[in-house]
Amino acid sequence: MIAYVCKYTPVEVLEALGEETVRIAPAETDYNLAEALMHANMCSYAKGVLEVMESGIYDGLVLTDCCDSIRRLYDILKKRYPDKFIYMLDVPRKVNDFSAHIYTERIEKMVRAYEEYKGIKADPGQLAAETAYKAVQTAAFTRKEEEEKEKSEDPHLSQVGIMGARCPDAIKNMLTDRGVQIAFDLTCTGAGRLSGAYDLLQADIDQVDSDRYAASLLNQIPCLRMADAVGRERFLEGFTGRLDGIVYHTVKFCDMYSYEYAEILNEDYRKKLLGSPIPVLKLDTDLTVQDKNDAQRPLTNEGQLSTRIQAFTETLRQGRTDESRRNLERRMNFAKKREGKQMIVLGIDSGSTSTNAVLMDQNKKILAYKVIRTGAKSSLSGQKARELILADAGLSQEDILYTVATGYGRSAVDFADQQVTEISCHAKGARYFDPKVRTILDIGGQDSKAIRLRENGQVEDFVMNDKCAAGTGRFLEAMAQTLEVGIDQLGPIALKSKEDITISSMCTVFAESEVISLIAENKEKADIAAALCRSVASKSYSLMRRVGLEPDFMMTGGVARNKGVVKAVEEKIGAPLFIPEEPDIVGAVGACLFGLEKMLSSETDK
Amino acid sequence: MEISKVYGDHVKKVLEKGRTDKASAEIISGLRLEGFRIRHFYDKRLPKAVQFLNENAIVRIADALDSPDTLAWTNIFAPVEILQCFDLTCASMEALSSYLAGFHMEDTCIDAAEAEGIASTLCSYHKCFIGMLDRGLVPAAKVAVTTTLACDANLSTFRYVGRRYGVQVYAIDVPGEESPEAVAYLTEQLKELIALLESMTGKKVDQDRLREIIVRENNSKRDLWEFAKLRMIHQWPSTLTLNMFQLFATHLNIGMPWVEQYFHQQAEEIRQKPLSSEKRLFWVHLQPFFEPSLKDYLNFGSKVAVAIDDFDLDYMEEMDPSDPLKALARKMIRNIYNGPFTRKVDAIEKMVTQLEPDGVVEFCHWGCKQSSGGVMLLKDRMRAIHMPMLVLDGDAIDRRGCQPEQIRTRFEAFLELLGEGKA
Repeated sequence: MIAYVCKYTPVEVLEALGEETVRIAPAETDYNLAEALMHANMCSYAKGVLEVMESGIYDGLVLTDCCDSIRRLYDILKKRYPDKFIYMLDVPRKVNDFSAHIYTERIEKMVRAYEEYKGIKADPGQLAAETAYKAVQTAAFTRKEEEEKEKSEDPHLSQVGIMGARCPDAIKNMLTDRGVQIAFDLTCTGAGRLSGAYDLLQADIDQVDSDRYAASLLNQIPCLRMADAVGRERFLEGFTGRLDGIVYHTVKFCDMYSYEYAEILNEDYRKKLLGSPIPVLKLDTDLTVQDKNDAQRPLTNEGQLSTRIQAFTETLRQGRTDESRRNLERRMNFAKKREGKQMIVLGIDSGSTSTNAVLMDQNKKILAYKVIRTGAKSSLSGQKARELILADAGLSQEDILYTVATGYGRSAVDFADQQVTEISCHAKGARYFDPKVRTILDIGGQDSKAIRLRENGQVEDFVMNDKCAAGTGRFLEAMAQTLEVGIDQLGPIALKSKEDITISSMCTVFAESEVISLIAENKEKADIAAALCRSVASKSYSLMRRVGLEPDFMMTGGVARNKGVVKAVEEKIGAPLFIPEEPDIVGAVGACLFGLEKMLSSETDK
Repeated sequence: MEISKVYGDHVKKVLEKGRTDKASAEIISGLRLEGFRIRHFYDKRLPKAVQFLNENAIVRIADALDSPDTLAWTNIFAPVEILQCFDLTCASMEALSSYLAGFHMEDTCIDAAEAEGIASTLCSYHKCFIGMLDRGLVPAAKVAVTTTLACDANLSTFRYVGRRYGVQVYAIDVPGEESPEAVAYLTEQLKELIALLESMTGKKVDQDRLREIIVRENNSKRDLWEFAKLRMIHQWPSTLTLNMFQLFATHLNIGMPWVEQYFHQQAEEIRQKPLSSEKRLFWVHLQPFFEPSLKDYLNFGSKVAVAIDDFDLDYMEEMDPSDPLKALARKMIRNIYNGPFTRKVDAIEKMVTQLEPDGVVEFCHWGCKQSSGGVMLLKDRMRAIHMPMLVLDGDAIDRRGCQPEQIRTRFEAFLELLGEGKA
């Protein structure tokens, strides 16, 4: 069995040669071997293919020179498996008669190499006829699938298109689980083989010669390695007015798609192309899975992806998701619960570092709040926060009519009636403290995010950094330890800085060695502290720029207590930051407000 | 503190105030000041040829940025010979990024690119180029010419900036393998490029001029190879920055009369230099010119020096001036950076065998998959021929991407391995 990776591979030729083919979709738990043989900074997909080949189940692999990583993968595999059929096809990047002819010759060269490898000699006439027959069949099959897909579009469901690099099924499943229909998959594994090869469908089979076959391969919807990628825009334009959102998936260390993402991110571009600036969600994975043997293939960062996807679907057009049905059931349940009682809601923000709870009444008055450290188990911290806040307010569990959980550990808060992402909750909570806020920077213990709101308070765009400690509370905590000052002292000390020094490493581990060097150079603690604050501010600034800097600005999360960071961010954005008195509880306040909205809407339903 | 950093910080402040025009004018003034410094206050330890190259590279890029009507954005492998026939000045994306990094402004540019959605894992040269345009630091060019040779990002970056700033881009698809069809396919593209340039500039290509350029290119490459051999015997005090400047001559301006003069001067001047006793390194790919621990050893080093870089020697074959387009097509296809990595490994083995350096160093630049991905293949081959090789990881222009202490430890250990202790 011969494996392949790319849609430009002449699969029909390999099959006409009698070979069974399969397209590789790696789902590995790690890339240890690939990183030893190549380099850690190679594209995750290429690393995955190397690991798959090591399993020994394929007799060969036909690659195309799609990108630098795949080219090097070829070099490594060719050396490692001298007895296998490891072949790389040089696919032209331009599409014209000349390039189709050149591709034909390269395919013929591959056939000769295959014949030599197998010790066979195929009849050229028969091979061409068989290839033509298979190609027409494939194109017809794909066309039929596309027609069926068009027919199955459900007007009641939100329509989301997937773009970018290869998208694992787990992401598609997460989207459909959230009541979304996938309108199209424009990633390289997405479109069916020979999609759009109308030329083949209309042709007389005798007229489908090698050049025509090569041309139809090259004429597929272009991937970004091709010189002219306008075909992708034309494809998107076909969805004008029919699309509610785009999920843009990129693979770690595959940079090719980030250019298109940068264009899609531009609102005017989306308006021009699709008629309206529909929301875009960027997801980045390294394609690794938690367990190879699990049929569902849950991805390593499934938790983070799920938060992003949930927040994204929350921003999609109301009424299109099947959430409404589920909401109705919930409303009926708690309407029963609240007969004759005061309306009190509990919001729990289960963060990675702290768990924050807020109690609110129907007049949106905060009755009590509590901030505790999250222990090893989010569920236990949630319970503990509930017990403590109820004790503070002199209330019992029965007094709470509705509980909304948010934050990283929201799904572990099993007593909550509803879970809402921290993105939506921070947005709502921020407007509670200052109705003019349009851009929110939230820096928590282990993640940071920037959220931009529409004038009416709806989330317009957001970005999250939860992959590394850079620019988060954990970074400052680690640096404070190195400087031997309390985390609460870092900000006040930084304000006393006199000398402008720079800490260039964003990485916590490397920044630590930089700080140690600065201490050794006898630099003042205040100056080092200020440099650390600026480092966090610079990372935050780039997050904020990615969503757009729209005043007024607010900063939330525990790090907002650090005056040094606040000052540095203000300098970067050139505007003041509004800091709520209790910056840690904004998410929990938002959760309460979501709870109240539910209750009030059930009131009007009755 | 370095003057360039003070100047760069000043330009950054101008930029922060939203005064883009002033900032871009100050970039050009900064280059002119550097040109003045080179002419009048040059480090006397440096060879005259190096000064000649340095001054030309700086002043010519300042001139290019001052005249956007004749400015061409290119990448390092673009067929500059053709552009010269239309009196266009080539400013390669890599060179522009290096200059901005010279002013310590790479962070501002890279952050700008990442903020607009460009992957942080992309090569920093490309991010810096996208970011400097985003921040309005360099002008839009008359035309942009790129190739698919060696690196994916060339096509994508140029397409992206071309659309963004309304600059016509011509991308040359370089086939990975040589065949008569591949040469014809590339030659046709060069003809298409010429037709485009003719219609844009209103000038006709002068075939004789192109032939003269090829002749000068051949002369230059012969002198360069002579220099590479002599460099293994004689001293040639230089710096990492100036080593990288060599690419202005070998690539960006190859074929120009002043470049021919430079290579000739370099080959002549090195004969006069004292014999060398330092350890000579054959460098693979990029040299991080700002990296403090490497600078300690390699800038005017008495015990160890970078003798030559494979990048400078990526195509050393004699070109046929009677058929210039075919010669240029073959030059791109047969470049050691094109096609399978084994071609580069074979070429390096051949050069190393001829030049006999003491060791090989490959610097894996952040985001450069084409070179990092093959580093173990090169290492295996060097092991097989008993040539010591060191692999370093870092970033060749983004200071934030290098870890000096880690590089220092590795480099010192390598020197110990070569039998040379601390400097």
